Amino acid sequence: MANFKVNQYDKSRELFNRATKVIPSGVYGHLGPAEGNFIPVSAWPFFSEKAKGAYFWDVDGNKFIDYMCAYGPNILGYNDPDVDKAAMEQAKLGNCTTSPSYKMVELAELMVDTVKTADWAFFAKNGNDTTQLAIMAARNATHRKKIIFVNGFYHGVSAVVQKIDYPGVLPEDVANNLYVDWNDFDALEKLVAENEGEIAAFISTPYLHGNYFDNVTPADGYWQKVRKLCTEKGIVLIVDDVRCGFRLDLAGSDAYYGFEADLICFCKAIANGWNISCLCGKEFLKDAVSGMSYTGSYWMSAVPFAAAIANINKMKELNLPAVLKEKSVKLLDGLKEAGKNNGFDLVCSGEPALFYMRIANDNSMMLHQEWIAECVKRGIFFSSHHNHFMNYAISDADIKHTIEVADEAFKIVKKAHPEAF
Amino acid sequence: MTDVKTLAYINMYAVLGSLENLCELDPKASALIADRKPISIGLEVKGGPSATITFKNGKCRMEQGIGECDIKLPFSSCEKFNGMIDGTVTPIPSKGFVHIKFLLDTFVKLTDMLSAYMRPTEEDLQDEEFFRISTCLLFYTISVAISQIGNHDEIGKFSADHIVDGDIKMSIKGGPASTVRAKNGHLITIKQAPEEPRAIMEFNSMKLAHDLFDGKVNAVAQIGEGTIAMHGMINMIDNLNRILDRVALYLA
Repeated sequence: MANFKVNQYDKSRELFNRATKVIPSGVYGHLGPAEGNFIPVSAWPFFSEKAKGAYFWDVDGNKFIDYMCAYGPNILGYNDPDVDKAAMEQAKLGNCTTSPSYKMVELAELMVDTVKTADWAFFAKNGNDTTQLAIMAARNATHRKKIIFVNGFYHGVSAVVQKIDYPGVLPEDVANNLYVDWNDFDALEKLVAENEGEIAAFISTPYLHGNYFDNVTPADGYWQKVRKLCTEKGIVLIVDDVRCGFRLDLAGSDAYYGFEADLICFCKAIANGWNISCLCGKEFLKDAVSGMSYTGSYWMSAVPFAAAIANINKMKELNLPAVLKEKSVKLLDGLKEAGKNNGFDLVCSGEPALFYMRIANDNSMMLHQEWIAECVKRGIFFSSHHNHFMNYAISDADIKHTIEVADEAFKIVKKAHPEAF
Repeated sequence: MTDVKTLAYINMYAVLGSLENLCELDPKASALIADRKPISIGLEVKGGPSATITFKNGKCRMEQGIGECDIKLPFSSCEKFNGMIDGTVTPIPSKGFVHIKFLLDTFVKLTDMLSAYMRPTEEDLQDEEFFRISTCLLFYTISVAISQIGNHDEIGKFSADHIVDGDIKMSIKGGPASTVRAKNGHLITIKQAPEEPRAIMEFNSMKLAHDLFDGKVNAVAQIGEGTIAMHGMINMIDNLNRILDRVALYLA
């Protein structure tokens, strides 16, 4: 057995203790220990010191090969020199100014040229800004109330896209939300018929990439049937491409699956970590968005515009989705093989560039959680129950090292559970 | 944000149901019913829950539904039954007048003891044994209330529907454990640990559990602290915690 170094997290813990005194739950949301499923919490770092390329270093000096990529934004590698150069040059010229920088126009033109369904682009900061805008725009355009969601969805944090049992959400907030299972076109068609003339939009991710279950790609012809139904019934088809955007196809994940959305939401990978999101849409919805009161203090900052332009151009030059897929397949083949050699059934689902993993030997996922924790303790940053993200900076050597660590982690878990094998 | 029917189910099975545990945990409670003939009380709520509580050999046992009973207490509505728990309604038996002394004396003493543990003063909690019993009783009450809310409260049902089938273990390290069993969106609480849990949520001390029940600390923050450990199907616990949030609304 290789005996890789096992991380210690003394400084992370010390900082977390300070954080809990002044920040609700210390680190809230998906980067925190609760939503981030740090199981057990002792296996994970809480705070980072620096990042470069495929890696980040925590405050204790531990180095991680990062397969979460800040939950998606890091697509070229942390601190990519070309993207950051464009951002720094723009910073010298101006960032948050009274009149927006002309860079906004340049980026909008680039988005329209790049994204297949886009006739226009609207910029904001977070994915939630765009999903919320898409829903409001659909209601504004159709003068209808109801929105259809796919069970297992996540479309951000505004009340309308949360669920009735979430803290702070009122039944009235979600009273016009309807739900249907993924890939079940018959059920969708029935739901539409039952609510004839009342549905403003159908919102969905390009494939089902929720947490805690194997991710599911669309059935043959599913999206084409959905597109046809929405067109026939005057329903706005919204694709939430916040998570997948640019990792499957630079023209949008709807293009990847052979259909066109009416509205498509981007964030995460659009500027390689610089803070910007974008809603793109078809011409017939432009006026609906023009007429809305929807803006934010930092939404027209120029630095992220410049970063996004550099990032998109570089992704195009690299034909990045194909590269990410190749790296991911290499990694997943190695991980599955290592699992098999140790008696583990490692199931990898979803699209390779956003792979989701689950050890299927038990029905509680406890073996899986132990394996993930052993990997993280040895510097491979995986998530217990979220899809992962591939980035361009991951090298063959990184993949080889990851598989070696994973192999050691499999052996440790197997030794701890002789009854399971 | 709450409804009287769900509260009636909680009052019946979670609150009165913890008389079982009171008689196990506190010798004084057990002594009250040790040297007497077995006796049972049937409680029947129109449009709500029903149960039979039997006191026998110093032990207490609650069964769902009205079986053979010595005393029968009918309630015309959930509101009336909840009123009895609040102390604002005096129940009138429809059967068992000869046992009225047990009802007015022993049963009242037991429920008073239960109230003292469920709504303790800071002074009472200084006593180590009182603290332990109080925490255990709160734990069992909350465990059972989770299932009642998941089965009857409209928002709770939404959460329960999202819990996949299987057993969730809730426990306090070195203390009590219970099972919340989910099947097709229906929940049942069993006051002992499951043999093969699909998910585990464990509080690392009695003090932490009590502070959580009192609302002095937050569960999400404690997960980060590592004082609440979660394993297994976290989505089961996630949805269970949403129901747990609603327990406080009903038991406040």
